[in-house]
Amino acid sequence: MEKSVDELEKDQRELIHVLHDVQEEFGYIPAQAISQISKQLKISESEIFGVLTFYKAFSLKPRGEHLITICVGTACHVRGAPMILDEFERKLGIKAGETSEDNQFTLETVNCVGACALGPIAIADGEYHGQLKTRKVDKIIDKLMSTKRNGSD
Amino acid sequence: MKIIIDGKRIELDDKKTILEAARENGISIPSLCDHQRLSPFAGCRLCIVQIKGRKGYPPSCSTYAEDGMEVKTKTPSLQRLRREILELILSEHPNACLICTEKENCDEFKSTIRKVGETTGCVLCPNNGHCELQDVVDALKVDKVRFPSVYRELEIKKEDPFFDRNYNLCILCGRCVRVCHEVRGASTLSFTYRGSQAVVGTVLDRPHLESGCQFCGACVDVCPTGALSERALKYESLADDTAATICPLCSMGCKLEVESKDGRILSSRPAPEGGVNRGQVCVKGRFMIKNLVHSPRRILKPMIRKDKELEEVTWDEALDFVACRLKKYKGKEVALVASSQVTCEDNFILQKFSRAALRTENIASPVSVSPLSTYRELVQEQGLKAGLNFRIEDISKANVLFLSGADLPVSHPIVWLEVLKAVKAGAKLVVASPQELSLNRYASVWLRNKPGTEVALFSYLSKAFLESEEDGGHSRVEGFGSFKKSLDKLDFSQVAQTTGVPKEKFMQTAELLLEGETSAFLFGAGLTQNPWGAQNLAALHNLALLKSGRLYPLGLENNLRGAFEMNNGHSDKGLSIDQVFRAVHSGSIKALYLAGPLPDLQKAKIEFLVIQGSFMNDNMEKADAVLPAATFAETDGTFVNVEGRIQKFQKVIGLSGEAQPDWWITSRLAKKMGHEGFGYKNQAAVMKEISRDIPGFSKISNTKLDNDDEVFVHEEVKGKEKFIPFKPVLAPEETGQKYPLLMSVDYNLDYYRNLALTQESKGLRMIRDSRWIKISPEDAKRLKLNDGDTVVVDSVSGKTQGRVRISGALPKGVVGANFLWNEDSDFSLVPLSFSSSFKNHILNIIPVKIKRGK
Repeated sequence: MEKSVDELEKDQRELIHVLHDVQEEFGYIPAQAISQISKQLKISESEIFGVLTFYKAFSLKPRGEHLITICVGTACHVRGAPMILDEFERKLGIKAGETSEDNQFTLETVNCVGACALGPIAIADGEYHGQLKTRKVDKIIDKLMSTKRNGSD
Repeated sequence: MKIIIDGKRIELDDKKTILEAARENGISIPSLCDHQRLSPFAGCRLCIVQIKGRKGYPPSCSTYAEDGMEVKTKTPSLQRLRREILELILSEHPNACLICTEKENCDEFKSTIRKVGETTGCVLCPNNGHCELQDVVDALKVDKVRFPSVYRELEIKKEDPFFDRNYNLCILCGRCVRVCHEVRGASTLSFTYRGSQAVVGTVLDRPHLESGCQFCGACVDVCPTGALSERALKYESLADDTAATICPLCSMGCKLEVESKDGRILSSRPAPEGGVNRGQVCVKGRFMIKNLVHSPRRILKPMIRKDKELEEVTWDEALDFVACRLKKYKGKEVALVASSQVTCEDNFILQKFSRAALRTENIASPVSVSPLSTYRELVQEQGLKAGLNFRIEDISKANVLFLSGADLPVSHPIVWLEVLKAVKAGAKLVVASPQELSLNRYASVWLRNKPGTEVALFSYLSKAFLESEEDGGHSRVEGFGSFKKSLDKLDFSQVAQTTGVPKEKFMQTAELLLEGETSAFLFGAGLTQNPWGAQNLAALHNLALLKSGRLYPLGLENNLRGAFEMNNGHSDKGLSIDQVFRAVHSGSIKALYLAGPLPDLQKAKIEFLVIQGSFMNDNMEKADAVLPAATFAETDGTFVNVEGRIQKFQKVIGLSGEAQPDWWITSRLAKKMGHEGFGYKNQAAVMKEISRDIPGFSKISNTKLDNDDEVFVHEEVKGKEKFIPFKPVLAPEETGQKYPLLMSVDYNLDYYRNLALTQESKGLRMIRDSRWIKISPEDAKRLKLNDGDTVVVDSVSGKTQGRVRISGALPKGVVGANFLWNEDSDFSLVPLSFSSSFKNHILNIIPVKIKRGK
């Protein structure tokens, strides 16, 4: 980890990029990375923590092999996002924000992905699934299970 | 520049915000997030105003006044908006009491029910009566909140020393975040999460203890609500008296405001304005004053030893006893140890008493081992042009700052605030330190030299500087030729091996020094308190001279400079403090008058020991007489701070028990011993004599000190600019088989007279226990030691104990320890540090071995 942070930019303005890179590499922001980044960029740990908790893109807990994000923004909400979310929760046996015990799936919600016309929408390992129906949920999960993780968060 | 606010014409000289201009002219605008020491934030939106010709409602705290502006601050629409904003703020703050119609009548009857876990209203709030939210609610006459009340049910954080954090009361004004970041540079606090979840917090919600907090209390002081509250004050009623004094716990000389009730101190805060500290202090000034003044260890009655036991007696009996016994000794048989923490007046009388009544020149004090003395010696020996006086604010004007031998946020907090100000304005900071310091985050270059290798480090920096400089025109300065030639002896490969600093760090530093226009070289006790301290300083002096920068000597004790001046002009004939320490153990001194620090007298071979102090410690077991001295809080007097600024202060409470000021005790004793000229009535009489006898205090009077904050010690700067040829010194012994570790000793000031503050305060013990032996994770692993284990530290000259504290700040092979004059004898580093045969020097780098103790 020391090395991967060392190779990063040394400019304080690059904090968000650095956090993205760490998130990409590890699937989350480990506590150790915060102190490494703090030393490297000379930003205090609490400021880094402030930034990373502000953005949904960063996670403090390890995420599963596959990440499923359900949009629960207003447009998706009125088009049935809660039902889609329920279905994912039931099928995966986890609540939104949790990771399955086998570390295969992380389920998250997001407030808008800017694709309201396609709502309700879910993003599975970077792939957008628009105008979802509850019966399509199984298929999405099956597809994820049969592939290795390739997309980004 | 002219502006009109609410019809009032206001003339402005410099750039100011509308809010500042209005307040200075008696026009009040409500605000919650604005603070005089902080940059504009415009978060609470309560300070909105209307400006003629401008749309909307700009916040006055972040809008600067422009010529011809017409501002209205209290139109009906503004007041309506403000009330609505305040109602929104109150919807997330317990508001039942704030808008209660009976609030006027309530406090009086309900003030005793504060001992509840949760604060659900003002009557249960520790901040009741100090709260700015209460003031704003009153000012805007808000009597209802039309939004649903939300209690956030956040956990109340009580795990840290000194203050509790209850973010259920927080209005997210961000003052604490900003003061921590902008002013103190600790950056422990941040806004975390966002939207409705937003809360002020630390990294990973850790306790402050694990987040780099210095516990300066600045966040508590700026908090407008009860979210951050001092624990010790929680259940206290409001103070009945407030008085100003000067903090005695380090050389900054911060102005404090002490609140008391019925003659008991409740709290000490930085005076909001004025003083060198301008509203800031450190953990000691903020949270320790009450503890030390009202310590259960205070000596309250005179005592003399009768039949092997110390017995309480009257002043007369005690003084008669001491006078009678002391008369038997004179000259070399007797010594007096003076403190550099008592007032100038006390110090002056102690000196006069020793010479007249004890008939001895053996007047020892920590002054002789301070950076001031080492610096003065070098200046006099070489005939350099250099003074000791300076102004702290000059430091923030430098473009390059070079720091060595002091951990500023801990040892010189107000100097640190100036350094931080400079760095934030673009100055570059270079830090030379074997240990990693918290301030390194702000350093452009960190020179991590091996302990004790500063001569090589600084001299090679001079060489690197000269090599990268085109022509500095130094040849006109005396001694440049031989200095330059002496640097030829320095070979980089050897320097690299000695210091452990890579070449690029030298080059970076040289470049920064070249670029910067003005420079400041700050040094503390860490650089000078060892036998080669003078050479360290000479090397730093050369480097500074190449840059035409000045050296800032940073001593530690609150009245070090005062004590230094009181002794100035007298020849240095007597024994120094380290020699006194050895002499009382060898038996060559028979009687000791201990009015200052000297621990570990258990094995001393003396016939007669008098202790004049404020607190009980181990040495009392050996004492024949104990004379209770008043603390700074109970006396009038003057301290001279690190700048050379003479500050007068007055007592804030009455005398405790039968304790008396030091000058009173010693002059009474002198009279009892039959000496004339000790009939002082009060502090003023002593001051009068000081201004007559002490050159640095000539033309100083009480009246002058009362009316002027800018009185400095009088000094004449003579001498000339001159380079001192480089002479290599032997680096501390290569760590051998027998003593494989180097102990680097920090000289901090966590003591007051004969009290170790860490013994008195559990909170301070959690932050930095003087008994910690800090050790690197690598060494701890190798020695199989864990945090808290008791260890025995063994050196050529002696042994001591400590508790393991594993710290990543230390490099492998180096252990860190704290030198404290008044630590209990088991834990005292004095025997280790005083072992050398160098007069006026104590070792701060000692080869040791460590093994597990019991």
